[in-house]
Amino acid sequence: MPRIHCALLCALLAGAAQAHQGAHDVSGAVAETNGPSSPHGDHGVAAAWSDHPMLLLAGGDRGEVAFRLSGFNADHVTVFAPGGAPDRLEVDYPVENGQVRIQPAAPMMGNYHWAQAREEQDGAVRVASTVQYFSNPGDAPTALLTRLRSELEIVPHPLPREHSQYRESEKWAFLVRWKGAPLAAHALRLDTEYGSHSTAYTDDQGIATVVLPRDFGVPKAAPGKAVAHGRERAGFVLSTSHVEEGRTYLTAFNYTYAPESQRSRSIAWGAAFGLLGMVAAVPLLRRKENENG
Amino acid sequence: MAEAMKSLFPTMSRVRLWVQIVMLFVTVWGASVVGHYSAEKISDALPALSCAYDTQNGGYCVLVPLQHQVHHRVGTALVKAQEVTLKVLLPLAMTMLTFLAFFFVLGKAFCGWVCPLGTLQELVQRVGRRFGLPLHAVAADKLGRVRPVKWLMLLGLVLLLPLLTGMGVTAHEFGNPYCDVCPSRLATTLLTGNTEEIALKTQSPLAFAIGALGNTLFGFIAVGALAIRQPFCRICPMLALNAVFRHASLARLVKRQHDKCEKCGICTKACPMDITEIHTEHGRKAYHDDCTLCGRCAEFCPDDDVIQVKLGPFALFRSSRDYYKKRMTGEMPDGTVKPVRIVRKSPQGGA
Repeated sequence: MPRIHCALLCALLAGAAQAHQGAHDVSGAVAETNGPSSPHGDHGVAAAWSDHPMLLLAGGDRGEVAFRLSGFNADHVTVFAPGGAPDRLEVDYPVENGQVRIQPAAPMMGNYHWAQAREEQDGAVRVASTVQYFSNPGDAPTALLTRLRSELEIVPHPLPREHSQYRESEKWAFLVRWKGAPLAAHALRLDTEYGSHSTAYTDDQGIATVVLPRDFGVPKAAPGKAVAHGRERAGFVLSTSHVEEGRTYLTAFNYTYAPESQRSRSIAWGAAFGLLGMVAAVPLLRRKENENG
Repeated sequence: MAEAMKSLFPTMSRVRLWVQIVMLFVTVWGASVVGHYSAEKISDALPALSCAYDTQNGGYCVLVPLQHQVHHRVGTALVKAQEVTLKVLLPLAMTMLTFLAFFFVLGKAFCGWVCPLGTLQELVQRVGRRFGLPLHAVAADKLGRVRPVKWLMLLGLVLLLPLLTGMGVTAHEFGNPYCDVCPSRLATTLLTGNTEEIALKTQSPLAFAIGALGNTLFGFIAVGALAIRQPFCRICPMLALNAVFRHASLARLVKRQHDKCEKCGICTKACPMDITEIHTEHGRKAYHDDCTLCGRCAEFCPDDDVIQVKLGPFALFRSSRDYYKKRMTGEMPDGTVKPVRIVRKSPQGGA
């Protein structure tokens, strides 16, 4: 039995380097199938990958982050907090040189904060919105998401919770509402930083289910600010429009998504080592001779 | 009504089993009851292995924030040559205070009554007993080698390695090393149908190696629990963390000195952690740091009022001869029950 264990262990360890090499091969193959997209990992210096109004993360830490306005102009960004003091539930931050720096509602208060900016021009209203997760304890965003912030809204339903994130190949629901009421049979367009486009339609409750495409390209050569804890990110933007009394309203919600976990994981190797552990425990199931009397 | 309750909960072990099943639901799938977001969970400082990687759970294990705060706040502050200020230590203090608030009432009962991994190991062990598989107790002379492991896990994997990673001494892969080898992470995520955690990370050899170690440990525990009672609990850092504060809790085990104890020792046979001190000691020493407050020693103590499970001044359960006699009709102290027919031995001794 010990020989079997050694042989299994050697075979498994010999495969480890191969699995590590394989992870890079997978990324390369996917990049080829997705065409000549040009990912921009660092949101702070990236050229616009969508014409829609967006608030793109441009650095920061748990106490303050910066956003770059893309595709629109505004003189301030409004930040809605998930809780805290009433005078901090909604705070305006001035835009300077196309960037804005925002802070959580209180120094030690975290969780999701909603950032939003608005441009009104030639009878058109364009709203950019995103969320920022500050890494401190804070109120859940349940109440935050129900609050009305503009006429036409795209509301995540729900947001990924801590230890979770939007990822390739996953389905996520978004509520589209007009002045608080759900908009049924309404188009919701998805654009990603890697050049994918798709359109989903809302159901009777105003919910559209969006599938984030599996479109990540080669790993970014120089990981920038879009890499958190070594994890790669890319941007996506959801947009929808509505015409009311001759006025066009366009609202966008942008955030980031991560590669599908299986790109950098191997379930086969996981199962193999799990089985190795099971085999190692099998001798415990054999009755000792003196136990049989 | 009373009769119905009696048939449903004939013994304390049956009460505990029901509590464990309810808590297994809460700690593995409880998000459907308590809410989706982290802030809506029962707590992020539960003294039980309720894994944060399980996106459908109802509460978080305290070991997750402990590792993250040591890694991202304390370690980072130290390496930046800043003073470790109150602002840096406050989240760590809040986590420990929240943990203690929970622990103050139930104490080590979190191990024996709430922890999902403890429950799963017990259920696997029941299968082993039911099928007549051998049972391996850890011999008294070997306990000295096993017991320090839980302290090494707590100090090394939960505190030291995350701190060194935050200071940039060790690789990022050691940021939350305990979670990476914790069998509860794999067990609870698999129970939600999520196979992501069982899949090994392949982006770096070190991440692969740590994951391989965790999966191997998980496989060993899954099968080993058929023949060893609570195999992982014995080396669990949560057991160590709970042990540090066990005398501060209202819930505790109390044993008084008794003449017959010296020749008896049934309590140790009943103990799933093979604690010999419950037999040989009394008073504070009998409530050993390995105890999970399951109460089996009290159930199988054949003498009145020698062992009690207490909550503050109130005795929740006290040993009694009548209860012992009734208890022995269904199960032996070591958990042996009447095996299922396919493995029952013939009168000649063959299978």
